[in-house]
Amino acid sequence: MKQSEAIIERVRRINPAYQHLELAVDDNLNRIKPGQSLLVKMRGDWHPYLREQWHPVSVAGTKLLIERPANEHYEVGQVMDVLGLIGQPIRFRRNLRNVLLMAYDTAPTPLLMTIPWLMGNRVSVTMVLLGSAKSYDTQHLNPEVEVIQGEDDINWQNQVMTVGWADQVLVVVNTDDELARFKKIVTRFEERRAIIPQNYLFGVFTGILPCGIGACHACMLQTRQSWSLVCTDGPAFDLTQLTLD
Amino acid sequence: MAIEITRAGKNALILETPVMPAAGTFGFGDVYRDLINFEKLGALVTNPVSYEPRNAAHGVRVVRLDSGVLLHTGLPNLGINKVLRKYRNLWGMLPLPIIVHLIATTPDHVRKSAARLDEEEGVDALELGLNDDISLDDAADMIHAATSRSEKPVMVRLPTTDTMRLAKIAIEEGASTLVACATPRGTARDPLTGKMISGRIYGPIMKPMILRIVAQLAEKYPEIPIIGSGGIHSPQDARDFISAGAKAVQVDTLTWIQPHLLEHIARDLGGWIVTRENGALPDEWHPSMGDTEKKRKADTGYDEDALLDELRR
Repeated sequence: MKQSEAIIERVRRINPAYQHLELAVDDNLNRIKPGQSLLVKMRGDWHPYLREQWHPVSVAGTKLLIERPANEHYEVGQVMDVLGLIGQPIRFRRNLRNVLLMAYDTAPTPLLMTIPWLMGNRVSVTMVLLGSAKSYDTQHLNPEVEVIQGEDDINWQNQVMTVGWADQVLVVVNTDDELARFKKIVTRFEERRAIIPQNYLFGVFTGILPCGIGACHACMLQTRQSWSLVCTDGPAFDLTQLTLD
Repeated sequence: MAIEITRAGKNALILETPVMPAAGTFGFGDVYRDLINFEKLGALVTNPVSYEPRNAAHGVRVVRLDSGVLLHTGLPNLGINKVLRKYRNLWGMLPLPIIVHLIATTPDHVRKSAARLDEEEGVDALELGLNDDISLDDAADMIHAATSRSEKPVMVRLPTTDTMRLAKIAIEEGASTLVACATPRGTARDPLTGKMISGRIYGPIMKPMILRIVAQLAEKYPEIPIIGSGGIHSPQDARDFISAGAKAVQVDTLTWIQPHLLEHIARDLGGWIVTRENGALPDEWHPSMGDTEKKRKADTGYDEDALLDELRR
């Protein structure tokens, strides 16, 4: 974990809702893996107070590409104070062939960095957008990603086939009530597959991280054995190993 | 620069610098090792510990405020026995005094916890956290339960409600130090769920309220050292608390926002001579100027990384 500075070198609007920031960062942050994130703060200001969690969507040399809502104002040359790397890389199963990414009532931004890595390892990727995630414009994504627009609630066409075909599933949900939403996802998968195997269905937690380092315990999750912290042990957790009630 | 932060007695606690992290913000000595040089801090106050294990709060735990944050974590912890088992080896190796923050749940639990902590070599003092709505009688019972079973200094962290009367009781029951204060409770609407969430409020705005309390306590009870805690976000804030009569200060959520500033404040109040880059102003210091990183790796005679890996398992 290091505290360092980063400079915004480019700001590019990719669609009406989102922009991409090219962020020049310290060397150690280029080793960021899918699932990991940064806690970022503009210098010299207490508002906002807590650091914002930024999820890179790709790495290019010494630069990270960050996706942020278009209504946030950033300028080229702006210096940001960065704490990172936050969290652990997502653990992918061996011999992966097909991965299903799901976004439920939230943008799939935290999952996007997995796409170049997976495709580079010849894993096919399908993305399912559910609820308000359907409004996420996917034009800028790799055209080889199959995008499925969900239907009502947690349904989509050929759901049984998609669920059965996937070797691993990563889900991100709206942070208003992550545990309840993940529970709905688990219930739907239990209906589609009699048994959900271990290391198959992962929830990616993206709630507020006040410290990012394991000090405050505000991100604690109850597991079947004990408890875990999203900031140090996550953000991806096997949903079958969590107490979601 | 040695500072005694307890009343004169058999087991006084003397710190090298009058700055330490506040309870609940710094873990148990297992985090922040890469960011902050522990040798520059006066002491380490652990996260809150209770006699029995506690789970995290359900639902929303963090609400962003304008220039602050509201927290409702539920004070989760493994319970005193597991905490001691897990961290005693680490505490024995850390280069600073360890103050365990104990949640005042019941007098019986406090009594048993104080007795356990008294047996631990690696623990230098106990900080007893009183609830906001505690009655005077209950406070007296809790503090007595701790001081009667512990030879080690018992610091009492006061709430912002009824502080003066609770301070008097703490002094009468043998507290070694008053910590002013636990930040006040408040309620805010969570923008994501729309629910009203109650919890403790943190941020720079807390400083004027708690500074006033520190000044009042220092004037009314000069016989007992006071540690100021709440809203400190700069070396000047910390110096203001010392000017108001505090013997030392605790830094809370600033550590999460700007970890390096905790060490900066500690160095500043500790009177450390800082390494300056050519052309830097005398009161400027930045971690890259000194040898913080190099010194930490060179001085320790044990494999810290291996010990921390073991703790994470």
